[in-house]
Amino acid sequence: MMPPDEHRPLKRTILPYYAAAAVSFVVVALLCLVSGTEFTGHYFNPKLLAITHLFILGWGTIMIFGASNQLMPVLTERKLYSELIPQYVFALMLMGIPLLVYSFWNFTLTWTIYLGGILVIAGMALHAINIFRTSKKVKDNIATEFMLSAHLWLLVTAIIGFTLLVNFRILFLSRDHLEYLKLHATIGMAGWFLQLIIGVSSKLIPMFLISGYENKKCLNIIYYCLNLGLIIFLLEGFMNNSLMGKLIPSAIIMTSMVSYGIYVRQCYKHAIKKHLDAGMKQTFIALALLSIPFVLLFINLLVKGEVSPKLVTAYGFAFFGGFISVIIMGQTFKTLPFIVWMHITKRDELPEMLPKDLYHEKWVSWQMYIYLFSYTAFLSGILLSQTKLIHIGASCMLIAASWYCVHVLLIMNKLRRK
Amino acid sequence: MIIDITDKQYEEKMVVLMALHEVVDPELGINIVDLGLVYNIEIEESSKTISLEMTLSTPSCPLGGIITGHVKIAVEQAMPGFDTIVDLVWEPRWNYDRISEAGRAMLDS
Repeated sequence: MMPPDEHRPLKRTILPYYAAAAVSFVVVALLCLVSGTEFTGHYFNPKLLAITHLFILGWGTIMIFGASNQLMPVLTERKLYSELIPQYVFALMLMGIPLLVYSFWNFTLTWTIYLGGILVIAGMALHAINIFRTSKKVKDNIATEFMLSAHLWLLVTAIIGFTLLVNFRILFLSRDHLEYLKLHATIGMAGWFLQLIIGVSSKLIPMFLISGYENKKCLNIIYYCLNLGLIIFLLEGFMNNSLMGKLIPSAIIMTSMVSYGIYVRQCYKHAIKKHLDAGMKQTFIALALLSIPFVLLFINLLVKGEVSPKLVTAYGFAFFGGFISVIIMGQTFKTLPFIVWMHITKRDELPEMLPKDLYHEKWVSWQMYIYLFSYTAFLSGILLSQTKLIHIGASCMLIAASWYCVHVLLIMNKLRRK
Repeated sequence: MIIDITDKQYEEKMVVLMALHEVVDPELGINIVDLGLVYNIEIEESSKTISLEMTLSTPSCPLGGIITGHVKIAVEQAMPGFDTIVDLVWEPRWNYDRISEAGRAMLDS
């Protein structure tokens, strides 16, 4: 049988995404530093909207798109449906995101914001088509199911977001804008990011740890609880918007997350490779950080009986700045050196180095220590309304993000020297 | 993979097997023999051909071409004058139980 090289995607379908995401991360940190005072006010303000969208789209989503172009062939055991689509998607996102972020920053509700929104949605839709076509006829593969439903929720999130943009100009939604904004944010967080990360990690964590643990039943519970919770949340949000309507889906989603925690724990328990490298350590730190936004929310509900705007900001930052950023930073150094190695290694020559020789393990650890300090300071600054702490956090975040970005670009530079 | 000591080609097969220890899985950092990816070695003296039956950790492994290329190089360096044919098979499917004790120790070090 011929070696399955045809499953290896072209590097231009992946690496530009990694580079763009790393640069976006630096810009996010810079914007957090220059507008630190905004984080003590209400979350619905132009600067925070701009930063949040750059964080979510430029950093998180772009990175996930690039990684999924590499991972889909592994998950589905099929070639990527199109290697041209990722290049169009990248161009669309690269044009759309700056337009959107610029417009939010200046709060200019002109053609720029709408064009930006349309370009981003077009990019997302094209990426989703590529993912769906790649996984066509793949059966009995729960990781792929997670990927597919995550992409559906991404489109739902984007459509709600665009509807809100239109509602700025032509007021047609019956209720308060902020109510829909919560729906937009929650579906994006749980439907897109959380679901995708759970799906991919359900395959990658056992793979990286060499763990023979398999539990399809547990993964099915996670999948159905998460999606059921999201559907109820969405329907309730549009129809009744009652407190009970939020608590029930929240409890279902929490069940899903607790099951996921148990699944990961069992994977580690059955692992042959218990010694974790820096990338995997960060992945486990990220999973622990996932609990922080929910703990914050829970404490606030118990103490105050309602969610204050300050807590919404802290909750959002704890999710994106904590869980999402830390897991992406860690997994970058599990996937990128491997991808670069694959493209620089010749078939007819035994390699002199391995993927682990393409990056600095100690740098990864130090980047993370600095980042975790920045996260703690920034989050405390938001919760205590202390701008000094926010500025200290943002400065350290800028150092960690810049170091990370340089590290990523240095790894990619090895391709030029091959 | 264990080569039977009573095999007539025991020595030659051991040379091939030792050569295959040079081929390392890039992600895990251990060689393909201890990883349990090599299933069978046949040496045909008359046609100067070495046939290897091996697998990959997953059929969609994007490194298939690179690893089989490295297998050919390593074997042909150890057994000059022989051609190497690498046959990728998916049955039995590879699983973690195929990793040797030495491999497990290397993974957890």
